[in-house]
Amino acid sequence: MTAVFDILLAIGILGCAAAALAVRERTAAIAAFMVAGLLVALSWVRLGAPDVALAEAAIGAGLTGALLLRSARRLGPVRPRSVGWPVLGSAAILSAALAATLAWAVASSRGISSYQSLVAERLSESGVTNPVTAVLLNFRAWDTLLEIAVLSVALMLVASVGTARIRFDRLGEMMLPCARIVVPLLVLVSGHLLWLGSSDPGGAFQAGAVLAGAGLVLVMSGHVPTAGRAVDIARVVGLSGLAIFVIAASAAQVLTGGFLQFPPDVAKAWIIAIEAGLTLSIAATLVLLFLGLSRHSRS
Amino acid sequence: MTPDLVYLATGAGLGALALWRLTTSSDPLRRVLALNVLAVGIAMILLAAAHGPGGADAVPQAFVLTGIVVLVAVTAALLALAETLGPRGD
Repeated sequence: MTAVFDILLAIGILGCAAAALAVRERTAAIAAFMVAGLLVALSWVRLGAPDVALAEAAIGAGLTGALLLRSARRLGPVRPRSVGWPVLGSAAILSAALAATLAWAVASSRGISSYQSLVAERLSESGVTNPVTAVLLNFRAWDTLLEIAVLSVALMLVASVGTARIRFDRLGEMMLPCARIVVPLLVLVSGHLLWLGSSDPGGAFQAGAVLAGAGLVLVMSGHVPTAGRAVDIARVVGLSGLAIFVIAASAAQVLTGGFLQFPPDVAKAWIIAIEAGLTLSIAATLVLLFLGLSRHSRS
Repeated sequence: MTPDLVYLATGAGLGALALWRLTTSSDPLRRVLALNVLAVGIAMILLAAAHGPGGADAVPQAFVLTGIVVLVAVTAALLALAETLGPRGD
C-alpha cells in the first residue's frame, strides 16, 4: 500500500517539475514549482528526514517561490526563441544518460555509509539529542559557519546590485485582520521550532524561514516601512548571525582550545544561544533578499 | 519495492529534466528554476542514499539542509543580477 503511495507521489513530483520547466507562462510554471516543492517535502518525510522536509517546504517551496514570482513580474513574459530539434534531442539524451549513470552509481554503492554509527556514538557529547542538529551545530559546525557567511555575502551582493523597490498592490480589507492572527502565530511556531530543534525535527533554519514569512506578512500589510531606519536595523540583524557565530567560535577556542569545540557539559546552552541568534539573522536576511533593497534603490 | 529506490529514480528524473532545461533555455528565470529543480533532485538522491533500515543518516541530512539554505541565497543573488540584465530570448 505504501509502495503505491510512493509511486503516485513520485509521478506527482516529476509531473509538477516537468510542468514547471516546460510551461511558457511564468506564473503557472512557478506555481507548479511550488507544488512540486511541497510534494518533495512530503516524500522526504517518507525517507525519514523530517528536518530537511520542513526546510524544503518553508525555504525551497515557499521563499524561493516568492522570490521567483517577484522576478517574474519584473522580467516580463518569456520571449520565444526556437531551438532546433537536433539540439533538444541531443540535450535530452545527454541529460538522461548523466542522470541514469548517477542513479546507477548510487544504487550500486549502497550500504557503505559509516556516519550513522559515528554520530550515534558521540551524540551524548554534543549536548543535543536530535542527530541532525548535533551534526549541524557541533560535529560539522564549520559547514554551518561558512553557510551563514554565504548568506551574508548574498545579502551584500543583493544590496549592492540594488534592484527596483517593490511596490505592493493594495491588498484587500481582510489583510490586516489576517495579519493580526497569522503574525503572532508564526512567531510562536518559529520559537517552538527553534526550541524543538535540540531534540526533535526543527532548528534555526526552519525557525528563521517561518519568522521571515511573518516579516513578509508585516511588510505586505504596510505596517513596516521598507526604507530608512527599519531597513538599516534589519541589515544589522541580518549580518549579526555571522558575527555571533564567529564570536562563539572564538570564545570556544579560548575556553576549550578547539575552534568551534564547545565545552561538553554546557554544549546545549551554547547551541541554543547560537541558534537563537541565527534564527533572527536568517529571518532578517531572507526578508531583505526578497525585498532586494539597496541604499540607492531605483524607484 | 522500497521507498529508497522509488525516490532515487525520482531524484535522477528531476536531475535529467533540470539539466535538459538548463542547457536548452536561455531565459534567465527558467534557468534559475531549472537550477533549483536540479538541486532538489540531487538532494533527493542524497536522502534516498541516506535512508537505511536503521533510519536516516544525519550527515547527508545536514548537507542537504545546508544546501537548501545556500541555494536560496544563490537564487536571490542570481535573480537580482538577472533583473539588472533585463529580459532576453527564451
